[in-house]
Amino acid sequence: MNRSLLLLITSSSMLLLFGLWVPVKAVVAQELLEIAWAESQARQTESRPWPWADTWPVAKLSMPELGSSMIVLAGVHGESLAFGPGQMMGGGGQQEAVVIAGHRDTHFRPLKQLELGNELRLQSRDGLWKEYRVQTTRVVDSRTELIDTHKLPAGTLLLVTCYPFDSMDAGGPLRYVVEARAEGAARVVDVESLESDHNQVLYSQAILDEIDTVAGL
Amino acid sequence: MMFSSLSSKNSLFPYRLSPPFQAGDEPPETRCRYLPVRSAPPLAPSCSCVAARVLGRPSLASPRRAGRSSPMAPHGFGGLVTRSEGLRVGRKQRVVRFMEGVSLWMAMLLVLFVQPLYAEANTGNEDSAGVLHFVDGKGQWQEPALVLGSDFDVRVSGLIADSKLVRTFKNTSDDWREGVFVFPLPEKASVYGLTMKIGERTIVGEVQPRAEAKKTYETARDAGRHAATVEQQRPNVFTTRVANIPPGAEVSVELSYQQLVSYQDGVFELSVPTTLTPRYMPGEPLAVAPQQWQGGWALPTTEVLDADAISPFTVDVDDVAADSHRASVRFTIDAGLALANVSSPSHPVVAQQDGQVFTVEPQVGEIVMNRDFVLRWQAFAGQEPGAAVFHQRWDGEDYLLAMVVPGRAGKTRLPRELTFVIDTSGSMAGESIRQAREALHLGLDTLAPGDRFNVIQFNSQPHALFMQPEMATANNLARARQYVSGLSADGGTEMASALTMALQSQRAVGRMVAVSSESDLAPKVRQVVFMTDGAVGNESALFDQIRRQLGDQRLFTVAIGSAPNMHFMREAARWGRGSYTSVQDPTDISGPLAKLFAAMEAPVLTDIKVSWQGQSASALEDSFPRRSGDLFQGEPLLQVVRGVSPAGELSVSGRLPGGGVWQQRLDLQQAAPGSGLNRYWAREKIDSLLDEARVQAQEPQKSKITELAVEHNLMSPYTSFVAVDKTPARAPESALLKDNLPTLLPEGSQSGMVRYPQTATFAPLLIALGLLGLMFSAAITLLQRRAYP
Repeated sequence: MNRSLLLLITSSSMLLLFGLWVPVKAVVAQELLEIAWAESQARQTESRPWPWADTWPVAKLSMPELGSSMIVLAGVHGESLAFGPGQMMGGGGQQEAVVIAGHRDTHFRPLKQLELGNELRLQSRDGLWKEYRVQTTRVVDSRTELIDTHKLPAGTLLLVTCYPFDSMDAGGPLRYVVEARAEGAARVVDVESLESDHNQVLYSQAILDEIDTVAGL
Repeated sequence: MMFSSLSSKNSLFPYRLSPPFQAGDEPPETRCRYLPVRSAPPLAPSCSCVAARVLGRPSLASPRRAGRSSPMAPHGFGGLVTRSEGLRVGRKQRVVRFMEGVSLWMAMLLVLFVQPLYAEANTGNEDSAGVLHFVDGKGQWQEPALVLGSDFDVRVSGLIADSKLVRTFKNTSDDWREGVFVFPLPEKASVYGLTMKIGERTIVGEVQPRAEAKKTYETARDAGRHAATVEQQRPNVFTTRVANIPPGAEVSVELSYQQLVSYQDGVFELSVPTTLTPRYMPGEPLAVAPQQWQGGWALPTTEVLDADAISPFTVDVDDVAADSHRASVRFTIDAGLALANVSSPSHPVVAQQDGQVFTVEPQVGEIVMNRDFVLRWQAFAGQEPGAAVFHQRWDGEDYLLAMVVPGRAGKTRLPRELTFVIDTSGSMAGESIRQAREALHLGLDTLAPGDRFNVIQFNSQPHALFMQPEMATANNLARARQYVSGLSADGGTEMASALTMALQSQRAVGRMVAVSSESDLAPKVRQVVFMTDGAVGNESALFDQIRRQLGDQRLFTVAIGSAPNMHFMREAARWGRGSYTSVQDPTDISGPLAKLFAAMEAPVLTDIKVSWQGQSASALEDSFPRRSGDLFQGEPLLQVVRGVSPAGELSVSGRLPGGGVWQQRLDLQQAAPGSGLNRYWAREKIDSLLDEARVQAQEPQKSKITELAVEHNLMSPYTSFVAVDKTPARAPESALLKDNLPTLLPEGSQSGMVRYPQTATFAPLLIALGLLGLMFSAAITLLQRRAYP
């Protein structure tokens, strides 16, 4: 009786330890990733957080309203998702749609609290922050729906995690998708027009100079 | 819900347990001591029953525990008091209390942890209609239960290629299955036969009006009988359905179709498409209830009402069974003349010669169905046929097929205004965009000083390099080259706006140029080169648009990729009064393009008139195409006619650009016997009826087409094939599961459809199980100590 009890206690503790190991790993890895992220920003190269890692930081995601921020890794294989949310696609062009997926039990748990209009910020390796606003949140059934990457409008950020948030079933079919639209989308155009405005300003200053000289005569 | 009955049963336990403790006929002091304990037992079982309710394992935790604790607690309670003694007892009590406290806290933790799971119980089991069965309940990829095999047996005789395509559906599961497969056929194929084979038995299918065929099939399927049907979604996209495939068994469907061999510049070419490039569906999605015959990844949109029917799921080769989606291909070519060589730009092939007949097979045996199979053959140099006549008598009527190749006319090069339109949509990602860029560079090379040009790229929106066509100066060409090199593929395929930009801007600018600069008054040939994979769902609307906006321009299409939509290429070029070509061999892009660009530079035969000498006017009525389009250099003129006996001659005349007249006569008496001409004629007639409807913007004459198709036993937009077995095979009580078979992603292209990743860990489950186990052991320890101090 005692032996089986001991067995039960040990196995339960093991289960508990294994269970707790996942969130611990997620938290510890993020600390290491911070260093790797700083390094990759400084050197502008892919820098692996530890020598045998098969992933590397590609962006930093922050949710100012919730006060949480995390390093995003390349790829969405199990290995990368254990340490941080993974970037499924995007990040190439300035306006390219970005899809990031994360574990609902660890990094993407705060997604539950995101509300429409909340701000999301994404920092790329060149240090530029891009701002997004949450447009919609919805639950999709991954059995019937795929992400059509070609149909994603430019400047979209999709955050994907499993749903429901407190489920025990790790293989459930439902996904929680947060869709955010870049605020910079308009801003980038603004910058361009600003530049052209700037040129015009210079141009008109030249004209003004002329006029000034005329006026000065 | 499953759990509700359990929980109500379990929740009885606390109430059943509590009375013994409240019955107060015990010694007062022990009663006081046991006050804290009193709360523990009722709480613990209630907790474990929460857990049990959630985890769905009531037998493991609550009843056993409850069963043990209820008789023991009162029992040990009495014994403990009588044997208790001084300090030893005090220490024991403290340990016990501590343990109870621990278990209480653990129970609390567990409750907090698993409590939100109530919500989940309601969200599960949302298995609605339209669920794709190759993704299982866990959201994991699941191979289709059906293994698909294909066997193409193509026999070429003269200009007609007759194919037998056998699709084998092997059921690897233990359930009865219905297989649905959306597949391409050559763009001008006439499907004329369907045969279903189950074991030794053969059931010959028949042509029925579309709705009727569907009904016949559904009735047979629901009655458990073997049945198969094939229907046309697009001129080159078909759907086959096979009902009641027994577990572990195989049903094969043989499709007979014929197509015309294409002949240009002395080269015969035949292509066998094997897969579809996923198509873009413009327009807003329609909110329609899932239909019965649905099964694609795309929902119907305002512009593509049947998007779901032409969008089979596209998967990687690795995602299907190792022996699925493989095809054996065999060509037997009897061209009627001595051949110099037979080759394939798409696959390495082995050719065997037996007299004039060639037998060709792929080198590797079975090919993976992820790119079109293209075969070319050629006569000896200098012996290329310049004309051909075939004759067939079918059902008391004469059918003639005549081919005339105009001789080469002298070159009179006119300055041109050339617009290149390049598709940079997502479906072009990968190998295709590389090919397209290379093709565009080749196109820029053909520009001569004095030409004007522009480059337009399009995906979700079109974007032009220049505001208006610019002179082909070194500077402008360098800019264009740089622009082209930087093109990458992403986004939608909004072709309509790109066509408008290409066709309209040229016209407007052409007018402006004519007004502004007098030196530019020389007539310019306006041409548009459209490079795309044609992966759109709204082809028909685009053809309309081309017809309306064309003006005096000409549209040429270049098919890019491993599985382009050749129907689009052919028809867009036809409505655009141009010609089309396809890049089949990624290592030799310049070959086919050089021919196209040469044809674009050479003069065009216009105003072509065909007359069958000594025949009645009714024969002319039945001669197709009714009005021959313009002919580019190297292009043959093909004419098929009913009711003309092989006597007299065919005379063809046309106008050369300089005003000269070109004329050729063909003696019909030398006609060789041919086969399948009646089907070719019927298909041409159906196409001409559909064209008429398009030009007049009316509904096609459905009854006339149906009648024609049934008479010639042909598939058409309004007729389908259906084959039904007489005796039921499946007992009504066994269920029939539907399997929508995916098609393979064309080689070299990147998938645009991404599956949602798995984004949960086992951590919560492990933690819950660990906590539960610990709590359970704590409770046992507690009870043991109490029972045997």
